[in-house]
Amino acid sequence: MNAVGQNIPHDSARGHVTGESVFIDDMPPLKNELLVDFLPAPVASGKLKSIDLSEAAKVPGVVLLLTDKDIPGHKQFGPVFQDEHLLVEEQIVYLGDPCVLIAAESRQAIAAAKKKVKLDIEPATPIFGIEEAIEAKNFIGPLRTIMRGEPERAMLEAEYTLSGEMRIGGQEHFYLESQAAIAVPGEHGHIAIYSSTQHPSEVQAMTAEILGVPFNHVIVHCKRMGGGFGGKETQAAQPAMMAALVASKTGRPARVVYNKDDDMRYTGKRHPFLNQYTVGFTRNGLITALRVDHFSNGGCTADLSLAVMERAMLHTDNAYYLPNVHITGQVCRTNLPSNTAFRGFGGPQGVAAMENIIESVALHLGLDAMDVRRRNLYGVEDRNITPYGQVFKNNVLPQLFDELSRASDYANRRRQINAINQTDRFRLRGLACTPVKFGISFTKQHLNQGNALVNVYTDGSVMVSHGGTEMGQGVNTRVRQLVADEFGIDWKNVYVTTTSTDKNHNTSPTAASTGTDLNGAAAVVACEKIRERLRAFASQHFSDSSAALAALPGNIVFQDGHVYDDRIAGKKITFKELVAQAYLNRINLGERGFYATPGVDYNRDTGKGTPFLYYTNGAAVSEVEIDRFTGELRVTRVDLIMDIGQPINPGIDRGQVVGGFIQGMGWCTTEELKYGPGGELLSHSPTTYKIPNISDVPAVFNVRMLDNPNSSMSLKRSKAVGEPPLLLGLSVWAAVKNALSYIAPGTIPDLQLPATGEQILMIMTKLQAAGKSNRAVLSPAAK
Amino acid sequence: MRDHVLLYINGRPEEVRGERLFQSLTDFLRYDRQLVGTKVVCAEGDCGSCCVLIGKPAGDALEYRNVTACIQYVYQLDGCHVVTVEGLRQGGQLSCVQEAMISCQGSQCGFCTPGFVVSLHAMLETRMKLTDADLRLGLSGNLCRCTGYESIIKAGVESDITNLRRANELYPPTALLSQLRPAADESVRVEHAGRVFFKPTTVDEAVRFKSENPGCIIIAGGTDLGVVMNKGKLTPTIVMSLAGLASLKSVRVEGTTLSIGGLASLAEMDVACETHLPEMSKLLRRHGSPPIRNAGTLAGNIANGSPIGDTMPGLYVLNAQIELTGTPGVRRVNINEFYTGYRKTVIRPDELITAVHIPLPAAGDAYRLYKISKRYDLDISSFSAAFWMRTSGDTIESIRIAYGGVGANILRLRKTEALLAGRPFSDDLIDRAATSARGEITPISDVRGGKDYRLQLGENILRKFFADREDNEVLTPSPGTPGEGGGEGSVAIRSAPANLQNSHPALSRDTGRGFNANGQERA
Repeated sequence: MNAVGQNIPHDSARGHVTGESVFIDDMPPLKNELLVDFLPAPVASGKLKSIDLSEAAKVPGVVLLLTDKDIPGHKQFGPVFQDEHLLVEEQIVYLGDPCVLIAAESRQAIAAAKKKVKLDIEPATPIFGIEEAIEAKNFIGPLRTIMRGEPERAMLEAEYTLSGEMRIGGQEHFYLESQAAIAVPGEHGHIAIYSSTQHPSEVQAMTAEILGVPFNHVIVHCKRMGGGFGGKETQAAQPAMMAALVASKTGRPARVVYNKDDDMRYTGKRHPFLNQYTVGFTRNGLITALRVDHFSNGGCTADLSLAVMERAMLHTDNAYYLPNVHITGQVCRTNLPSNTAFRGFGGPQGVAAMENIIESVALHLGLDAMDVRRRNLYGVEDRNITPYGQVFKNNVLPQLFDELSRASDYANRRRQINAINQTDRFRLRGLACTPVKFGISFTKQHLNQGNALVNVYTDGSVMVSHGGTEMGQGVNTRVRQLVADEFGIDWKNVYVTTTSTDKNHNTSPTAASTGTDLNGAAAVVACEKIRERLRAFASQHFSDSSAALAALPGNIVFQDGHVYDDRIAGKKITFKELVAQAYLNRINLGERGFYATPGVDYNRDTGKGTPFLYYTNGAAVSEVEIDRFTGELRVTRVDLIMDIGQPINPGIDRGQVVGGFIQGMGWCTTEELKYGPGGELLSHSPTTYKIPNISDVPAVFNVRMLDNPNSSMSLKRSKAVGEPPLLLGLSVWAAVKNALSYIAPGTIPDLQLPATGEQILMIMTKLQAAGKSNRAVLSPAAK
Repeated sequence: MRDHVLLYINGRPEEVRGERLFQSLTDFLRYDRQLVGTKVVCAEGDCGSCCVLIGKPAGDALEYRNVTACIQYVYQLDGCHVVTVEGLRQGGQLSCVQEAMISCQGSQCGFCTPGFVVSLHAMLETRMKLTDADLRLGLSGNLCRCTGYESIIKAGVESDITNLRRANELYPPTALLSQLRPAADESVRVEHAGRVFFKPTTVDEAVRFKSENPGCIIIAGGTDLGVVMNKGKLTPTIVMSLAGLASLKSVRVEGTTLSIGGLASLAEMDVACETHLPEMSKLLRRHGSPPIRNAGTLAGNIANGSPIGDTMPGLYVLNAQIELTGTPGVRRVNINEFYTGYRKTVIRPDELITAVHIPLPAAGDAYRLYKISKRYDLDISSFSAAFWMRTSGDTIESIRIAYGGVGANILRLRKTEALLAGRPFSDDLIDRAATSARGEITPISDVRGGKDYRLQLGENILRKFFADREDNEVLTPSPGTPGEGGGEGSVAIRSAPANLQNSHPALSRDTGRGFNANGQERA
């Protein structure tokens, strides 16, 4: 039986449930190991004039204090632009910017030393908000544009137009395992790093550069992460560099483990966005012209902000055909920690803009937003070219909408809600459906590659390593299934080992939902090469001149742990026997596979190209209930459908869908980043930053997968699933907007994201006041 | 007097001395014992990744409950048995919970998983099966960022307990009790490097120690102190644990008064409230989380004096009496006169809170509590409110209103109360009262909400109370309630395991949780 398509357990599940799975800080301390932490800058902007370490150095247990001057190699780094520093040289660019590295024998010594370092700082005026940055023209990178048709003329000719703006909040990753790394010095300046990272190759490169050693002196290992969500794509590098610097200076192992408060305060998040739009449309709600200008809060450095903005722009169409469209994007530089990748990578912000526009158009015309969405949906045969010129093939969106409308009983529930919102003075209800069409591939072409190493041992067991990293999403389990099927063996005989840069080099981050697509495909390529050699060898074994059976490698079959020639009935050998014999006959039983996604490219200067191999699609209908007195929000029912092709592991993929949706729902509702006047994050722990709780899971939560044979050019007809479902959390936000629209019909509720209870109450209050003046509207005061 | 702390970890005794005593339980487990299955994320009891079972002698066995280990300190646990995820192994086999978590894909990254496994075990200590509703309440103290919880709920529902060995089966109690019982009756005093830990076994001892050491920190559940200590805001030099004061554990109803002992956990209080003060019980189920309620005490909340303490407004409007025991004896102070400023109280240097006496509302009285927070469960109030009202026909005879989160202390709305008292209900009266309520409070903006939001809530919650009242949902039912055993002595309430309480019908989540007119009970 094939392993692909089976719901086999996550390969670490047993270790997870017993507590045996090892995360970075679970590794027992090595002899002589030092603990490392940094002293954060107390202001968000300023000049660090001098540092006095004399008192701190006297603290018992303190072993080493390092500043920028002590960095032997590159002092500037960054995934795209080299505009980041590990330690402040002179300019402090965010509150928490590391000024001094402290290595000590104990946490107590570090805490004491932090209090003794004297920083002489000349503070400057920081900028935190997008509007301030726009005013000051504080930008990162150029303004980018995607344009199609004649948006200006179409806007002038439009039957209706509507303008507005929307603020979209950031989001803390809240991976449970904070950033962490251990560096172990080796001989001749070599170093081994154990890192909780989505991108071992980048950790390797950054560490080598900051130490001033060749890349081949650094090996980075990542067994697993306690969650990543994009937060460990680039920003796992800093703790690794800190540990490496200390290890290299002292010759002692060094460990960096951020505590949750510091991790939340000082690392980047999902980008807050501001978008301004003008939309032109017909009386039926068909969009004829659209202009959207996106601004994002990039924080203090570029990090991945330009690519995030690019994806926001590429997803502004979401599921809708826009004949005349002009989209711009500008990243703003502020004095916040540098914002970074987060599941969806700009896609959610682009789609939020579009779904807000759709809801507003529907309210303006008095139409059901569901109908407006249907009307604007991409066509299957025509109206199927995106604003950037990619043809949207295999469009299943109309089918998804039909199935979901039926399954969710949308029309009936809409009628019920219309009625009940007129009579219920306690509760206000809302209902909305939002789709997702998420482009799969890195928009940076060169990242669309993966490599994998497959070793077949003489006992028939197989060890695989690949460039992907395991953060819970199940890439290792899926690779295990793929490899097992290539050799026709039990998946239990395949083990996927720790990701490391000595086995798999020049790897791409495990990101953009491509972990399995790239690395699984590379593993399959490696298996195919080994299989070719085994086929040739086996065909000799099965050939029989007396029976006039020539050796035909193409007839050799690997199945159910056995190998046979499909022309000969009843004669089989086990895979184990075959490889044992092959070894004795000096057949190479190991291979490295390489895969590059064919045909994807995007020209960011022209805003045109075919950046995606395919799209993963889905849609969700959410119903919400709001307390009219308090603004408290509850998601009462969600119906969700995803097209993920033929899943490699349906159980794991369902986990991605449900987990992604709930994470998106959190971003849209309770997850609010609050800052103090000095740029200090106030919501820096789970006490004040509220991710969804188990009791927030909708009481009715129907999740189904579209049975799609999937003709996309994808791995085993599967589709990437990591990010797309997160965007369906926007259906909850849209349902809130819909609910609020019942208070003062004709007025479009000015709802920002997240839709916190506080915002909901304040909008309700405002709308009630407005509504009272022209018509009798139900309100808490009315009887 | 012992000079060390005795606790058991996964069935093995640990005599802890010196510096090691003053660690958090998680540091002790992870760095001292290398039991790294217990994870630390937040170090403030707000994520549940560090959940362990803590067993305490109860009858001829131990009673095990899940507690967040990150905010427990080793010295608090004298006489306890700590079972970590490593200790749940059923011989060489995985437990039914672990098997179900694997087969249901209940783990993704795995970091929260040990905490969930422990909490699921805690729930099964007192149950034969787990329902969706049980799990949504019983696991509300455990956060997961990956799964969206669906698979974890499935794992809980599908756990087949046929072969489950509960903690008392895994760790035969006889041997444990032979060591832990004597330990419970023994006082402990440890001095190390200028730090002192003291565990008295009588209230007299405790009062004496407190009067001799006025700066000492008193720890009961430690759910607030643990956070403060972990975040480096407090490193107490002298600590007194009340864990040995068995007499303060009781929860009783005497006449029309519910008395909560100074050491009774919020979970134990909830058992009593379920029968005698159901409105408070409903609130308690949103107070912290199950592992927090298993450790935290009402007296601790009161001593802590936070203006956003969930239970506080409800105690204000009932004129709860705080029993203080000091050198001269016992006195009672009305909670309305207990606080003198932000986190300042009338407690004298030698006094301890030994009980809280809550006069129960009479049949026909309206008693209503509200909590508004950013997230429904496991959150701290942005705003809270309590109403007690007695009516006579259409007239408000008497009313007491208290709000939390609107000032330095819980605020009684005296002007609004005066405006309402003695007047017949009318829309106009409610409008004027709502405006008055808004005018009477002086909230600030902070991380949990803006000033305008709280002002609006101050107005709306009063309207909501009267709207709820119209639906007859705020009245105290008459039959079979308080006072039944009154006069003839007191009715002791057995403290049932906290986990049993989780399947409260009022919190069934199929209907509009908390947002319907009846406040969570309308079908």
